[in-house]
Amino acid sequence: MAALVAGVETPTRSRLPRRHLVGGRLLNHCLLGLVGLVTLVAVLAPLLAPHDAVGTSGQLYAGIGSPGHPLGTDGIGRDLLSRTLLGLRTSWLMALAVVALGLLVGGIVGLLAGAFGGWLDAVLMRVTDLFLALPGTLVAVAVAAALGSGLGNTFLAISVVWWPYYARIVRGEVRALAVRPHVEAARMAGVSTPRIILRHLLPGVVPSAVVTASLDVGSVVLVLASLSFLGLGQSAPAPELGADTSRALPELLTHWWIPVIPGVTVMLLSLVANLGGDAVRDLIARRGR
Amino acid sequence: MLDTQPATPESAAPTAEAPDTPVATLRDLRVSLSRDGTSSEVLRGVDLDIRPGEVLGLVGESGSGKSVLALALLGLLPAGSAPRVAGQLRVAGVDMVNGAEEERRLARRESLGVVFQDPMTSLNPTMRVGQQVVEAAGSADEAIRLLRAVGVPEPERRMRAFPHELSGGLRQRVMIAMAIAGGPRLIVADEPTTALDVTVQSQVLGVLRRLSDDLGCGVLMITHDLGVAGQIADRIAVMYRGRLAEVGPTRRVLNEPRHPYTLGLLASRLDFDTDRDSPLRTLVPEPAGGAAVAGCAYHPRCPLAVDRCHAELPGLPELPVRPEHSAACFRAEESRDRLLEIAHREAAAADAAKPTGPAEPAEPVVGDATAVEREDRPARPGVVLATTELECRFTVRDRRGRKAPLAALRGVTLDIEAGESLALVGESGSGKSTLLRVLAGLQKATGGGITGPTGGAVQMVFQDAGASLTPWLTVRELLTERLRRPRLDRAERHRRVVAALDSVGLPEATLDARPAELSGGQRQRVALARATIVPPRVLLCDEPTSALDVSLAAHVLNLIQRLRAELGMTVVFVTHDLSVARIIGDRIAVMYLGRLVEIGSADELVADPRHPYTRALLSAVPGLDVELPTIEGEPASPLAPPSGCAYHPRCPVATEECADTLTGIQLVPIGPRPPGPARTAPPSARRAVACVHRGEI
Repeated sequence: MAALVAGVETPTRSRLPRRHLVGGRLLNHCLLGLVGLVTLVAVLAPLLAPHDAVGTSGQLYAGIGSPGHPLGTDGIGRDLLSRTLLGLRTSWLMALAVVALGLLVGGIVGLLAGAFGGWLDAVLMRVTDLFLALPGTLVAVAVAAALGSGLGNTFLAISVVWWPYYARIVRGEVRALAVRPHVEAARMAGVSTPRIILRHLLPGVVPSAVVTASLDVGSVVLVLASLSFLGLGQSAPAPELGADTSRALPELLTHWWIPVIPGVTVMLLSLVANLGGDAVRDLIARRGR
Repeated sequence: MLDTQPATPESAAPTAEAPDTPVATLRDLRVSLSRDGTSSEVLRGVDLDIRPGEVLGLVGESGSGKSVLALALLGLLPAGSAPRVAGQLRVAGVDMVNGAEEERRLARRESLGVVFQDPMTSLNPTMRVGQQVVEAAGSADEAIRLLRAVGVPEPERRMRAFPHELSGGLRQRVMIAMAIAGGPRLIVADEPTTALDVTVQSQVLGVLRRLSDDLGCGVLMITHDLGVAGQIADRIAVMYRGRLAEVGPTRRVLNEPRHPYTLGLLASRLDFDTDRDSPLRTLVPEPAGGAAVAGCAYHPRCPLAVDRCHAELPGLPELPVRPEHSAACFRAEESRDRLLEIAHREAAAADAAKPTGPAEPAEPVVGDATAVEREDRPARPGVVLATTELECRFTVRDRRGRKAPLAALRGVTLDIEAGESLALVGESGSGKSTLLRVLAGLQKATGGGITGPTGGAVQMVFQDAGASLTPWLTVRELLTERLRRPRLDRAERHRRVVAALDSVGLPEATLDARPAELSGGQRQRVALARATIVPPRVLLCDEPTSALDVSLAAHVLNLIQRLRAELGMTVVFVTHDLSVARIIGDRIAVMYLGRLVEIGSADELVADPRHPYTRALLSAVPGLDVELPTIEGEPASPLAPPSGCAYHPRCPVATEECADTLTGIQLVPIGPRPPGPARTAPPSARRAVACVHRGEI
């Protein structure tokens, strides 16, 4: 009996760590799938939205679960599901765009500074420091005040303060790679400087840059929402998660779902972005091993 | 043996009464470690006794499981690898497999001492050396006594130093002092001298040998070098793939080995009697994959393997008429004669196949002729690369973090002839690698002149091939990127790449591999293919074999020799090992602290060294029948080189003038003058030595 139990138990126990590993990988892929799903929803939001997000539908203050309005309507009869979907679209796509632009600009600056060093490095890094020193929200306020509020201006304001982080990270990685023997060996082999940068340095930087960027999407979502909350986003009727929360705030005690739904959406978006970033980091770390 | 005794965990030394009782007993020890979910058996049944007062040399190539054996003895197998241990392992009466953790910890404290390969990482960098020794020894007085016992000069002063303020040799002595604290019954030394210079290595080996004799403790000396084991071990155990291949008294194992693996290791080992003119003897390379094989693990590489070896696992029987000497081989009795027979037959075949005349060196194809900074014309006919009074200075941080000038090269004048191979020999800090980097154009000289080819005509092979190949590029990409000028079509490029791989003995399938998927030897071959795919005029080699196992190193050395003959390259080969230098170099140049001290043809220099430093270096090379030499002091720091002849503080024949000599640091020709006018004589014709005695010592 004891032998039988032992015989059954042993293989299970020895397989346990492996199954855990597969489970971990599966979970990571699921999280990435979730990020993909959110992106898909954001892209298809105009088709998915059951109603016009700006137009009124007649029924005021419909509660959650009302027929035709699963998330209810607000004080002038706009469908909350449609507004949330379109607000999500703006937030999510803009966050991705800010991170992508930051990665591109910061990546180029960091790569040049790290690969060439010397005075170019000094100049580029001092410029980066200058931008890093600017408080992000204040710059956004200033840009909005100078150029007027609007989607493009908000994007500009955040992008201006976002790329320096990537420039710093990429430069650090490149400098660490540049002193490794394989770069010297490539130089010895007569490889041209552009090719050394693109083939012998850049691929080594990609993993850490991608991990940083993917962990960053959530923060950009939050910053965008707070700017919009302060009234620095699109102008009034346009659906925006931050602005919708702030405008409906007086109704928090009477019709709680109107401000809470966009607020919770922001929270969920940022959560999904962070989990997705963690998954990317996990998968890259595992691949590197 | 120990099974019959009652287990007495409270007593630290339950077997102290019987002097011949082994301090460590291993019976059918099996250890499996798992990595990424797959478990592999690293030790596959090891039987071994370590007796008090003996030094047991455990020899094996990388991957043989010798370090895992050491960790198992210490009860320190990495928990992260989920070790599974079977069999019996007792150290000083304590069961290190199933014993209680507290009991094992006490055994480590009371009965075990350990010396690791790299004392820099095993000493705590934030604590003064003294504190760490006191921690092990119990009191400051005892710590000073121990430090004195292992030969640390001025121990009171060294106690206040941090590990980074000590030299490598001193650090290793401190580790040994900590290991012998408390009078352990067994010291486990895992490659304790591998990171040290050869002259320091012999000193540390001497300390270990003496301690074992004085304290009567057992020493398990793990090493990859049969020569090192031969110098200090009483018995040698040869390990292959987690099993012992052969165990026996040192003399017997080295002089009359019985296992084909031991025979192969000894044959591929370099010493000063190795034939320079024919390719080095090598072992059949390890089969790919390293999958578990039935029967004897060595049979895929063994030239004597018979059917029985595939099917049956040989035990480790004591050989008839040879007490204490056992070999795990079915053909142990005949192996030696059979292998010698095979070797003779092969040698005869090689002689028959030898071309009658020396092959005409192919005209080297010079790569892109980029902007030439230095003069690209031969300094003298026949000379391809020449330096005059070459100097190279850096600003570095010294041990206390202050900026300090470091003179890596202090006036090197050297002519390298076209087609010759020159071996640069020296210890760490001698400037040999800096000289190579200056020749390669990777480092700018700060003084003196250099004439010779540049750009693609000079190529370099680095010490760590793994690090010199870009990890994310495939072998195909690493090789084709050297073929960008002139533009070649795809088929032609592919043909050249495959030909280059073929010339270093790698199959076409290697093309799509990344460096991490290759073994150490394969990576060094890829690095060689990359350097020679466009044949260079000068090939610079920076210790390309020092990280490889003996048998792999022999393969790579053969390969460099063959490529050199085929492509007509000039080779400059940096090494710390004189036996390698003698094989690879037509000439040997010996460096000490940034200057050449002696240069001459390889045979002459090794047979009749004329500089006291060359003598010391030669005597320190571990050999099978070499006594441990007595060499004074350690190489001085290049931050503060001694005045005059830099070697004078260590030199046994130094005179007063050595401290401020100007002539004694110049290379002066010695020996008979070559026939013919002096101006046309090739530079290699003369021996030269930089010493006030002018070679008359």
